[in-house]
Amino acid sequence: MNRLQSNPWGKGAAAVLLLVCAALSGLFGAFVLRGLLYQGVDSWQDTGRFTTLLQERQASVAALVADSLAVGRLPLGDYTNEEQWAMGVETWESAGGTYLIWPDEALSYVQIRRYEQDIETHAALLDPEQTWFRFQVRTADGTLTLGGNLGPNETMEGAVDTVYYATFQMGEYWVEDSSFSWTGPDAVGGTAAESNPELTAQPVELMIECGVARELNDTIPDGFQQLLAEYERERANFGSHVTGCLIFLALTAACTVYLMWTGGHKRGVEGIFLTWQEKIFFDLYLIAMAAACVVLLAMAIQSGEYLVRLWSRDVSVTSLDQLSAGIYTALFCGAATGMAAAVTLTLRTLAVRLKARALARSTLLCRVLTALVRILGEFFRNLPFTWKAAAAFLLYFFVNLILFTNQYYWGSGPLWLLLNGAVLLFLCWWSVGMGRLRKGSRAIAAGDLNHRVDTRLMPYDLRLQAEDLNNISAGLSSAVDEKMRSERFKAELITNVSHDLKTPLTSIINYVDLLKTTRQTDPKAEEYIQVLDRKSQRLKKLTEDLVEASKASTGTLTVQREKIGMGQLIDQALGEWTEKLEDRKLTVLTNLPEGETWVYADGRHLWRVIDNLLSNCAKYAMEGTRIYLDLTRGKGQVKLSVKNISREPLNVPPERLMERFVRGEESRTTEGSGLGLSIARSLTELQGGEFQLAVDGDLFKAVVTLPQAN
Amino acid sequence: MYTILICDDDKDIVSALDIYLTSEGYQTLKAYNGKEALRAVEQNQVHLILMDVMMPELDGIRTTAKLREGSNVPIILLTAKSEDTDKILGLNIGADDYITKPFNPLEVIARVKSQLRRYTALGGAEKGPGLLTVGPIAMDDGAKIVTVDGEPISLTPIEYNILRLLLSHPGQVFSSAQIYEQVWNDPAYGSENTVAVHIRHLREKLEIDPSEPRYLKVVWGLGYKMEKGAK
Repeated sequence: MNRLQSNPWGKGAAAVLLLVCAALSGLFGAFVLRGLLYQGVDSWQDTGRFTTLLQERQASVAALVADSLAVGRLPLGDYTNEEQWAMGVETWESAGGTYLIWPDEALSYVQIRRYEQDIETHAALLDPEQTWFRFQVRTADGTLTLGGNLGPNETMEGAVDTVYYATFQMGEYWVEDSSFSWTGPDAVGGTAAESNPELTAQPVELMIECGVARELNDTIPDGFQQLLAEYERERANFGSHVTGCLIFLALTAACTVYLMWTGGHKRGVEGIFLTWQEKIFFDLYLIAMAAACVVLLAMAIQSGEYLVRLWSRDVSVTSLDQLSAGIYTALFCGAATGMAAAVTLTLRTLAVRLKARALARSTLLCRVLTALVRILGEFFRNLPFTWKAAAAFLLYFFVNLILFTNQYYWGSGPLWLLLNGAVLLFLCWWSVGMGRLRKGSRAIAAGDLNHRVDTRLMPYDLRLQAEDLNNISAGLSSAVDEKMRSERFKAELITNVSHDLKTPLTSIINYVDLLKTTRQTDPKAEEYIQVLDRKSQRLKKLTEDLVEASKASTGTLTVQREKIGMGQLIDQALGEWTEKLEDRKLTVLTNLPEGETWVYADGRHLWRVIDNLLSNCAKYAMEGTRIYLDLTRGKGQVKLSVKNISREPLNVPPERLMERFVRGEESRTTEGSGLGLSIARSLTELQGGEFQLAVDGDLFKAVVTLPQAN
Repeated sequence: MYTILICDDDKDIVSALDIYLTSEGYQTLKAYNGKEALRAVEQNQVHLILMDVMMPELDGIRTTAKLREGSNVPIILLTAKSEDTDKILGLNIGADDYITKPFNPLEVIARVKSQLRRYTALGGAEKGPGLLTVGPIAMDDGAKIVTVDGEPISLTPIEYNILRLLLSHPGQVFSSAQIYEQVWNDPAYGSENTVAVHIRHLREKLEIDPSEPRYLKVVWGLGYKMEKGAK
């Protein structure tokens, strides 16, 4: 398909074929034009050319009569010259009176010879052996037949199908045709009119009865014979001429379509190839081509008109006429070819431009308009917002005012309504955009960082705002993602590292334990082994806490919240810790509200929180003091506070205490990983609670707040 | 004389365990990955297997699955993974117990003993009326004797009553107040604290690792229960 489209030979052949077909359709068009002359008539005798021929013959008859009379002969008739002279007929009579005809004595010999030659020519033309034309000349009243070219026993009605009539006035021919014979001196005898006042007063009116012989003899090379032959030929060929014209037109159209289809494709070039023609602005191109078409059309009409005139004339065309007919036919064909070429070129470049989607770009008008609109748009958009609003309002106000005040004069009421409706729609559009913007910013503020404001069909200023908002949320979202990823990575790292730590730690603990069972010679060794044992146990605790802390803080722990009893939990926790606390001489004072206090929490995680807090007390509370455990509920919240007096001065702010690896004393010699409070806080927050610490002198207070369950 | 197969890719751990178990009078076999363990089981009569989970070639979970195709020898998994899902997976695949690294040697020996006792005394526990058992814990209510893996343990009357209550309703969670009312036959007036302490003592007597009980479990915030159908 592509190869066919980009084949240069195919295109060349199509172009040549197009021109040839256009020329041929022009030629056939000319034939059709010629054939049209013979269309729409019942018989060949109805054609214009027939009438012309008939008139020529009638004129010839008139001339013959006039010339004959000029030389003083009785025209026509079966008389020989000698008989006429012998008869000495000088008068002939008609109903109108008696007329005198006399030979013009004054005619010179040359003149008489001329007349006679003329008479011979006409007579030869009217000879029944040489023409199909049959005629009789009568006086106007029809009473007297002067003569004709009918056979001796023929009547007019018998000889021809249709009889045509024509009249002519003798005097005219007489005077006109003899005019030059009177250019001689008047002295000879004066004009006929002068010498024959009656004649002048009453010119003879004659009538020609004529027609074409019924019996047609094809051997007589007459104008009528040519006309009939042409008539019949044209009638017979008209259909094929029309068909030919249409076929070539169709072929031309096919070539045009092919050239449109292949236009813009070039072998070895991807996509649409633009030629120099496409560099011309399309509207200019179109105007040039239209101008060319107008010129060519005028040419076609001119030559067509000439041809019609030529063909509808007398048949006796000379060779010069034939030459000019040829030239004009060629002109007609050329005009047709030129028009086809112009139309095809225009359509091809249109097709190429459409294919390359460059029509608007390559149209001067379009470009000018777009540039204009863009410049105006840019100008308006870059105005400060206040100016814009003010300008828009003023425009609206004045137009509104004009339309409103003139509604009775101009009938601008509907326009006024339309304007206000449009403004209302515009305001709605704005408010919808504003609403969307508001919703978007609320969603983003609420933490939905993946929310994007839909900026489609938004007013320009709001769209700018919305895009900024989207950018902010995208930036925030990616920052949060980045943070999450790094936290998760950290947690994973800690988990992996602590797993790797556990294996060697197992060996250490086991071998230290084995060492304890062996007998040591050096008493100091016992002590060293004690240290090793203690530290390895601490290391164990530390790795476990580390994993837990990282899991709790990154939220990779699963939380299964259910309704659990706070009182029960505290009871259980104290069951675990009472003895250890008593060992440290610590008294626990609990203050629980009546009845069970239910919270929504994950029991195991909440146990770890309380476990860590009590463990904290066991580690850091001053011996002999009391630990206060208070549980309160209200406003949908349950608060558990643990208070104790620290053994060491707490010189660390409470926030620091919750950081990982921070402990109440800096020496780091005592047991504890420093992760307890951090884990407790993370776990509390995981369950949707709050964890607060307060330090007041040596008083240490931890408050766990959880949502109450009904 | 029992033969115990120790399987871990860390040779130091294997030899440490070897020392402990040999000193307890067991015969040991050593393997350093799952394939060696399978071979050792084929070639020797093994009474118990201690096996690491993360090993090259064939890990502990797959080895356990393979072993379970044709043997019911007790398997204790040693794992550095402390996630609950890993423990559940190991137990579901057919392991009998697990110990998390870094482990206490005493705990290992206790668990080995427990498993061996149950394995060798299989079917020995006569199910008479009034005999309540959950896992290794058996209570003869008639004789008022409680044994764990056949070893009798001494309980105070209150501990005994609490245990009887829990053992007779395995899987059921009892709050401190309920236990108090049932055992003391008194309405509870905030004196349930003692229940928690008693239960902790009970746990210390019944469980190898009281902080991570296998049978007498603490349901935090709700109460206590005896695990139902525990191994």
